[in-house]
Amino acid sequence: MNNGFWTVVGFTAKNKLRGKAFLVTTLIIAVIMSIGINLPYIISQFSGEGKATVVGYLDSTADKTSSQLFTPTRIADMLNKYYGAQEKPELKIVPIADAGSADANEKALKQAVSDDVIDGYLAFTPDPESGFPAVTYKSESLMESKVSQSLKTSLQAVKMDAVINGGGLSKELKALLTKPIELNTVQISTAAGAGSIDGQGKTTEQQGMDMATVYVIIFMLFMAIMISGQMIASEITAEKSSRVMEILITSVAPLKAMFGKILGMFLVVLLQLAVYVVVIVINMTLPQNADKLSEFGISLNEIDPVLLVYAVVFFLTGFFLFATLFAAVGSIVSRTEDLGQAVLPITMLSLAGFYICMFGGLNNPGSMLMKVSSFIPFFSPYAMVVRLGLSDPPLWQVWLSVLILLVTILIAGWLSAKIYRAGVLMYGKKPSMKELFKAMRAYR
Amino acid sequence: MNALSLEQVFKQYGDKTAVNGISFDVAPGEIYGLLGANGAGKTTTMRMVLGLIYPDSGRILYNGKAYSKEQLHGLGYLPEERGLYPKVKVSDQILYLAQLRGMSRKDADQNLKRWLDRFGVPEYYNKRVEELSKGNQQKIQFIAAVIHSPRIVIMDEAFSGLDPVNVELLKSTVKELRDAGSSILFSTHRMEHVEELCRNITILHKSNPVLQGNLKAIKQQFPRERIILGTDGEVNGLETLGGVLSVNRHEYGYELMIADEAAGRPILEKAMTQTEVRRFEIMEPTLNEIFIKTVGEKHE
Repeated sequence: MNNGFWTVVGFTAKNKLRGKAFLVTTLIIAVIMSIGINLPYIISQFSGEGKATVVGYLDSTADKTSSQLFTPTRIADMLNKYYGAQEKPELKIVPIADAGSADANEKALKQAVSDDVIDGYLAFTPDPESGFPAVTYKSESLMESKVSQSLKTSLQAVKMDAVINGGGLSKELKALLTKPIELNTVQISTAAGAGSIDGQGKTTEQQGMDMATVYVIIFMLFMAIMISGQMIASEITAEKSSRVMEILITSVAPLKAMFGKILGMFLVVLLQLAVYVVVIVINMTLPQNADKLSEFGISLNEIDPVLLVYAVVFFLTGFFLFATLFAAVGSIVSRTEDLGQAVLPITMLSLAGFYICMFGGLNNPGSMLMKVSSFIPFFSPYAMVVRLGLSDPPLWQVWLSVLILLVTILIAGWLSAKIYRAGVLMYGKKPSMKELFKAMRAYR
Repeated sequence: MNALSLEQVFKQYGDKTAVNGISFDVAPGEIYGLLGANGAGKTTTMRMVLGLIYPDSGRILYNGKAYSKEQLHGLGYLPEERGLYPKVKVSDQILYLAQLRGMSRKDADQNLKRWLDRFGVPEYYNKRVEELSKGNQQKIQFIAAVIHSPRIVIMDEAFSGLDPVNVELLKSTVKELRDAGSSILFSTHRMEHVEELCRNITILHKSNPVLQGNLKAIKQQFPRERIILGTDGEVNGLETLGGVLSVNRHEYGYELMIADEAAGRPILEKAMTQTEVRRFEIMEPTLNEIFIKTVGEKHE
């Protein structure tokens, strides 16, 4: 490979990077990613977290004198005590004076809501059977899941507290009673598999992170293949339809022209992905996001480095396998309009691998479907990454899969080069298989 | 030694013969005309010379040597269908193509600037090709073919689609290349260009070379059978003379078709008795006539 090859690589990459479309696309996707990662934080900013929701209740004089344990007033007192103990109170319970009649009370409460004195109010319906009144939360919002969830928890807590206190339970027993049960799942490695470091188990957090990482890797691989494949094919077709191809292949060997184009495009895609990865990492490590994301159990530290290494291996092989095929198809078609239809079989192939993993693999990575798919060249870049991330395939299977891929790349590259050689000089309608085969033998 | 020689080159596509045993030599500093109707096999021949397609049999030698990848750098190609990247700057793509042909970027840049000056369009250096008119795109295409100072240039329909001013400009440039020692394989449908530029020609007809050799010698093989007669007044009775096949009255006088050159003298004598003769010429056959005769006759 002499200068000609690198000249093609440079020209391809430079032209792509200079194009406005490329810059704009990269920028837009980077912005979308940033927004996506910042979304939990942004939502929390807008939902006004930290400011307590004010909930009203009817403070009737009759309740104060009642001998019952759970009157609205007593419950409200306990709730206030409960929320008062929180660092940032979620709710604030305020009394609304009794107006005398039921209608007037209802009116007064509604007035308080519309005056923004309270955000909503509680209505208690006595339930003599259970001894604890049924509670209704009324507000203008449709589904105040956060408030209702909080109320449910707090009501349950204050009820239990009151009952236990009444029963005279010791502090220790009370603590024991309220302590949640711990259940951890750990993925263990029975054989010396390739999926983890030193056959160590993976904790729930690591598994969750693996799932997310696998998802992201597969998605990026799919996007990179589809976008760059289309770009390679359409550039070659454009060179053909603008007839610059005739000069090109009289200046440089067709093989160099093709692989130079593929590598040039690969560098562009790599750069694009690098930008995205940097954007993701920066956004995830921003202090406000790191806190928010760790609440969901997402943390960069939990990513398995071994998985990343294999992901890169399968990313490279998968990319070059599909890229050579896209190049071959691009060389057969003479007009850009016909390209969409011509690349459809390859697109379907890539899509099939992607969907097998998305729907069949992420939930059940050990299935026979995944095992078989991880040895089929066009599916294996997706399938093996899923198996590596979510189960524990034996090392020999991983390298066999890589080997099959490499052999396929060589065959596909050789075949694509032959097709390219013959295809670039064939104009007019899309040639049939027979015509193409004939031409492939004519051009050496 | 000949810069380029083809020896009994034969090429078949499936069961269709594209080129049936063509042989010719191009000397250094010579423009060789490859003529033929559409589909006669010119482009296939040129592609074989360019090494894009390999002949089924026969040899093509470059300076006495067989084809090798290194030869690519000594070849220049102006394709029939013009092709450049529409959205790429002129300088970028010309330098790219020059580099692919083994030039250093610096040398290529110098050559490009010299050529743009030569064509009087230095401001195109930073323009995109799609911004240029068709004629100016042709100039850029021409530069792309010759920027690396190739020893052998292949020009398929070199001047098609150009206005007369630009045709003259490119024609004089082609002559300069020839005088600098380049060998040029040249194809066109404009016979007057061939007559002006080419020393030797081959006429292809349906894949077969049907007429080949030195242009002057070819012309002498064909009988002179046309007379241009320029007169002040009218000349009557020309039709009645022996050997006269037809008479056409033109603004300047008459155009006569004759059976052989011997018919010339009586025509001149007759005209002189009746009026003043401004011009009398027994015309050489034009290449156009020869071409139509050669290709057309076999058409039937």
